[in-house]
Amino acid sequence: MTDFSKMNRREFLGITGKAGLATLVASAAGVSFGMVQVAEAAGNSRLTPFRFAILTDAHLYDIPDHKFDGILKKAVDDVNNMNPLPDFVVYLGDIGQSGKRTELEKGKRILSKLKVPLKVIPGEHDWYLDMGQAWRDLFGGPTWSFDHKGVHFIGMNSILVRDFWTMKGLTPDERMGFMEELECHHCGLWGVREEQLEWLKKDVKKLKPDTPVVVFTHSPLWDYYPRWNFQTEDAPQIREILSGFERVMAFHGHVHQVVYNRIGNLSSVGTLSTSWPWPYPGVELPFPDIKMNRVDPGDILDGLGTQYIDLEKEFAGALHYDTWADLLPEGVKKGVKL
Amino acid sequence: MKSNTKGRLFAFTGTTVAIVSFAFLAIEPAQARKPFTQDELAAQYKDLMATVKEGDDLWHSAKLGKNGLACANCHPDAAASNPHTFPKWQANLGQVIPLRDMINWCIQVPLEGQALDANSKEMKALEAYAFYMHRGFKLKPGENTKQHPPVEVRSGAGYP
Repeated sequence: MTDFSKMNRREFLGITGKAGLATLVASAAGVSFGMVQVAEAAGNSRLTPFRFAILTDAHLYDIPDHKFDGILKKAVDDVNNMNPLPDFVVYLGDIGQSGKRTELEKGKRILSKLKVPLKVIPGEHDWYLDMGQAWRDLFGGPTWSFDHKGVHFIGMNSILVRDFWTMKGLTPDERMGFMEELECHHCGLWGVREEQLEWLKKDVKKLKPDTPVVVFTHSPLWDYYPRWNFQTEDAPQIREILSGFERVMAFHGHVHQVVYNRIGNLSSVGTLSTSWPWPYPGVELPFPDIKMNRVDPGDILDGLGTQYIDLEKEFAGALHYDTWADLLPEGVKKGVKL
Repeated sequence: MKSNTKGRLFAFTGTTVAIVSFAFLAIEPAQARKPFTQDELAAQYKDLMATVKEGDDLWHSAKLGKNGLACANCHPDAAASNPHTFPKWQANLGQVIPLRDMINWCIQVPLEGQALDANSKEMKALEAYAFYMHRGFKLKPGENTKQHPPVEVRSGAGYP
């Protein structure tokens, strides 16, 4: 795997070029990473059409030859066989299940087989054993942005909770145990919190309103089902900061399912995991036609998948769910318009 | 004849007691079992909640299986376990089954563990948790076309 976070622009273009993407080298796209850098936007709403892919929620266990290892490998193979190949892959969190360094290392090893560059954000399962130490060592900073072919891409850590462990006197293992439960009723709501909101304001300050902006978080940027943290507490502030742009596309992991919403200028799409599917919670979906079929429990691959996004000129496009079973209604098979 | 009838009636047991008592009333005043007292009801409820809690703990425990997974990986708050739709024909088993058979299938296949004794304390607890998280739902035995969310949970465990 390429460590995307430690690359400069020249290296990024070089490596992507190796993947056979001459068009990228010819493009005027700039790349900048890290919290300290304010990315320079291309400022042009006409982008060069391209594809990127999303993998997420592998939930790898520290058990040799665990079945989820094989599913992530299969997903990596699928991405490597895409035609056209995506320009890069974004991983939306939860590489591990219990935050162990060994789980994250295994994930990094498997993801290193990707033929294209990789960007990663963390999920709660990666984080709460050592408060993100191993994750940072392996994947760099959790907050980043870069520009590619005219699009400004942003990744943030949306799984930050208020301290619930110190008062209870919990050990790191116990803290992680609580966070591992989707319906944890001691952990509180997740958010990106003040530091990242300030970073985001600075990051997008110089961008023109017609700049295509894409945001990645582990959790949805809207209030879907807070009980399962299908939400980000400060999503309203994030949407406010990004409200000046003509259009913003947001993609999230965590929900392990097909789900879509649109709020103001922001479209938000959920993604399929490579571990297990989550059922829909007992609330009405804002776009009830955009969902997945009932999953067959007898098929280990049903309800899982990868996804790719084809972006077109004028910042339009669609997300395509790439599945291994008959999971999608006809309407969703054609792709979800962004 | 009257005294004979009375004698035979006393020999009845179990579910016939209520009917028998009704017939008996016509003969002379008598009483069925007294209504449960508030203390008795509280004790029964406490027992039920303890069983539900035991089920909740097991539902979220990796110890039922061998690969780290728990029931809750796929069924948070017992969602999509659809207890009120059993018994039903289950495609992956090719027959009509009660919920406990589906629970054992999940333990054996996705969790790669050993099936529980159908009458074990553990199985009772798992069933109690799944059913209690669907309290108030209409029974729909045989339904196998829908996936149901559990009762809506705002906070806490989902039960008192």
